[in-house]
Amino acid sequence: MRKLFALLSLLVVASMVLAACATAPAATEPAAPPANDNTATEPATTAPEAPTFASADTTTFVVAESEVGIDTLDPALAYDTASAEIIQNTYETLVFYDGDKTDAFVPMLAESWETSADGTVYTFKIRSGVKFHQGGDLTPSDVAYSFQRGLLQGGYSSPQWLLAEPFFGVGNDDISILVDEGASADDREALSANDPATLVAACEKVQAAIVADDAAGTVTMTLAQPWGPFLATIAQTWGSVMDKEWVVENGGWDGSCDTWQNFYGMTSADDPFSTVANGTGPFTLEKFANGEEIVLARFDGYWREPSKLERVVLKQVPEWGTRFSMMQAGDADLATVPSANRSQMDELVGAFQVYDAETNAYGPIQEVCNYDAGALGAAKFTACAAGETGNGGPFLARLGRPGISMDVLLFNWFIASSEESPNPYIGSGALDGNGIPSDFFSDVHIRKGFAYAFDWDTLINDVFSGEAVQSYQLTLPGMPGFFLDTPHYTLDLEKSAEEFKMADVDKDGIPAGEDPEGDVWTAGFRVQMAYNQGNNTRQTIAEILAGNLATVNELFLVETLGLPWPAYLRAQRAKQIPLMTGGWLEDIHDPHNWYQPYTTGTYGGRQSLPDDVKNQFKDILNRGVSETDPAKRAEIYKEANQLYYDLAVGVPLEVATSHGFAQRWVQGVILNPIFPGFYYYTIYKD
Amino acid sequence: MINYIIRRLMLVPLLLFGVTILIFGMLSFLQPVERLALYMRDFPKNDKVVPALIAKYDLDKPIFVQYWNWLVGKVDASGTREGGILFGNFGYSRSASQPVVDLIMRRFPATLELTIWAVAPVVLVGIWLGVQAAVHHNGVIDQAARIFSIVGTSFPTFVFGLLMLMIFYANLQWFPPGRLSDEFSKVVESAAFNRYTYLITFDAILNGRFDIFLDALRHLVMPILTLSYINWATFLRVTRGSMLETLRMEYVTTARAKGLPERDVIYKHAQPNAMLPVVTLAGFSVVGLLAGAVITETVFNYPGIGSAAVRAATSLDVVAMLGFALFDGFILIVAALVVDILYALVDPRVRLS
Repeated sequence: MRKLFALLSLLVVASMVLAACATAPAATEPAAPPANDNTATEPATTAPEAPTFASADTTTFVVAESEVGIDTLDPALAYDTASAEIIQNTYETLVFYDGDKTDAFVPMLAESWETSADGTVYTFKIRSGVKFHQGGDLTPSDVAYSFQRGLLQGGYSSPQWLLAEPFFGVGNDDISILVDEGASADDREALSANDPATLVAACEKVQAAIVADDAAGTVTMTLAQPWGPFLATIAQTWGSVMDKEWVVENGGWDGSCDTWQNFYGMTSADDPFSTVANGTGPFTLEKFANGEEIVLARFDGYWREPSKLERVVLKQVPEWGTRFSMMQAGDADLATVPSANRSQMDELVGAFQVYDAETNAYGPIQEVCNYDAGALGAAKFTACAAGETGNGGPFLARLGRPGISMDVLLFNWFIASSEESPNPYIGSGALDGNGIPSDFFSDVHIRKGFAYAFDWDTLINDVFSGEAVQSYQLTLPGMPGFFLDTPHYTLDLEKSAEEFKMADVDKDGIPAGEDPEGDVWTAGFRVQMAYNQGNNTRQTIAEILAGNLATVNELFLVETLGLPWPAYLRAQRAKQIPLMTGGWLEDIHDPHNWYQPYTTGTYGGRQSLPDDVKNQFKDILNRGVSETDPAKRAEIYKEANQLYYDLAVGVPLEVATSHGFAQRWVQGVILNPIFPGFYYYTIYKD
Repeated sequence: MINYIIRRLMLVPLLLFGVTILIFGMLSFLQPVERLALYMRDFPKNDKVVPALIAKYDLDKPIFVQYWNWLVGKVDASGTREGGILFGNFGYSRSASQPVVDLIMRRFPATLELTIWAVAPVVLVGIWLGVQAAVHHNGVIDQAARIFSIVGTSFPTFVFGLLMLMIFYANLQWFPPGRLSDEFSKVVESAAFNRYTYLITFDAILNGRFDIFLDALRHLVMPILTLSYINWATFLRVTRGSMLETLRMEYVTTARAKGLPERDVIYKHAQPNAMLPVVTLAGFSVVGLLAGAVITETVFNYPGIGSAAVRAATSLDVVAMLGFALFDGFILIVAALVVDILYALVDPRVRLS
């Protein structure tokens, strides 16, 4: 037995030694420089001569991602960025974003398009000679079918509401509204129980709105009303085109108005297209191992010049240390870097690009000559002067570009509370210094008092290490209605005190500062600001507010309260939370996608905004979304900015800015913030 | 011996039954709506339909009814069976986008391969260190081995693993994480490569691809070394203690008095008897490895069952967690059976009693 043990040990040790001596897989010959770089996104470099960096394998692109779950690869159903990244690289849309621009579009599967004078009819000329990965030919019927399928599949867990509104009209955000006014929303069984004639009529309405003409090679889409962001809406992954024959063969909807209800409210786990893909995009889905890796392979039958990369491997590497090692070893070209670990990468940065708000683009690549670990953001790096040689670090950092999500401080104007169901977040429920009445935040001076008490510098420096910018409005750079000079709140405790003194919470017509019978200024208040447990940003926001309000008046008490996510969400939906931080990640880069949820939509509801306020916004939003001229739209949303500020409906807080890393050899990246991930078609390694 | 094995085998179904009761008992702490995941691939999006679904799947019925349904599934009017672990339906893992059985079948070979390659270094070297420490009791070798093992056991696994990554991967680039290089992954997943065992090292040899064998082995080195180093301390201490006790036995003194060579005294007379507790330890160490070396697999991005279980847990994928729990329970029972049989082989008193 001992001899066997010894033999086994020897075998293992020998194998390991052999393995150690084995060479790494042979590196492929570096690819020739690309003939044409059609990204037009990399600004001209002004860097001096620097060390060269070369990847061992220029044909395979490896991304070390943190653990992300791909929900579904069905373009009609996917509504998360991880899924959308794969879809964007395997499927294609009629129009696509023009490089890193968020508001300009170029033809993709549509060669061209025309819009009717009233802005309600779009006619797309469909590109010919385009193949699907499995060999099918793209036809206008495929395009029409894909949009019809999406709209009929509907469901509120899908992105279809973004397409439903242009086709069915504002507020009609699901096919179930056409069937039974939404009574059967997200309930296939209930929807199917409707009168068959009604079901067929709803389907026919959809089919009439999207008509294919295979002979003419066109698809005509007729909208319920002009829709300013229509191209932005169909440029996202839910506008992707699928092969009708392939969908039908694989158990999808057969295109008949008699059967569509069987596919309504599809869930990703039941969807036969959640783990497969057959688009016209530059990459095919070679391997789908959710939780391990996703492999994309170059589609050689692609209608444009095939991708320079042969394969893209998206490795799921949950442990940061492993991802860091992969970057250090040069085995990963890109990696997900948590904000807490950025400093580790920063030390190895040899070149950097900083976003320029004026041009809404990154500036030139600069070599790093000095690194200051104590500084914040881009100030950590000192660019080399002319003639200086950089530190030769292997990574390129890109910093400072505002992202596409924002935190907003939200007040609940009419907090839900009753004798049967007392609200636990508003103390006594009265203006007695130990609580607040349920209409506390309906007073605009109270809301403004809170707004002036917030300290953005502390939030941005302490929580975001300087890598965020204050949001002045609900719009983001690059969209109509974004203005750098828009009115906004800043920390001013004196103004905060003034506003509280002007408030009239007891509704006796006398401002609190002058009220002999006492009001909020003399009585004080106690209110709880809830956040979801584990969300440090929201916790800090609450703590900043609590600290400053106590400075304004020692009788003002804001208690911070961490709630488990389900409880937090439930309380929000029940309109019980008086004061909270709301977050939104945009679907399309358009002001409608921001103002709608924050005024008339999701958050407007959770803030219990009164009808007159909602109606004011509804009017502006209807005009904004119906207008197709960007300049006119900008003016309309300027009104929205002003109204949101005047009423202090909520207080936009911050947008985090970019701080990403790549190997120095990674070229051709389109840095479009609205992309759900990377668009690998333009990327190459050089 | 045969009788003993039969007796032990007869206990297996009972033990498995007990495991299912325990696991289902834990499941009963979940809300009925959460237990719907046992039968449905996805949660209903419309809250209004939840009560009907709870009633449909008897989730409002007594616990034994629910347990029975969980075991054999629910058959609807059309004769379709939903759920039923006895029929191999462990449910659908949302975090992995596939049935739990498929997930386990996909991940387990990687863990099994790691275990096969790790068991010799972990167990044999650990035992050897323990024997050497005992033989050189309080000598330099003893002290050095003890310090070596204490350092090993004091290192948190993830710290040691990351240290290994930093040295042997990021700096020296000898041993990469993962299971196989991308270049070879493509070959292994192609139709031209026969997957006889789904253990890449073995399949590589059977396919005559020595380059793939070496590449797979390169990926195994760091997990094996990490698992070894953190486990050696336990083996060393148990073996050393057992050996010291055995070496003090009168029969060992007798052997020495008879003039047997010291080597024979130690390895032929003392060591076999000192191995009894080590067999138990080894058995359960192997179980630990088979159930997934969670931290090691995570740090080295090794696609085994441990890292899949972590992902399921962090994704609140209850169905997958249940599947892993049942699978681990099964492995534990089988391992306990094997250990018992080995025990009987090593020590006749066990089977005779």
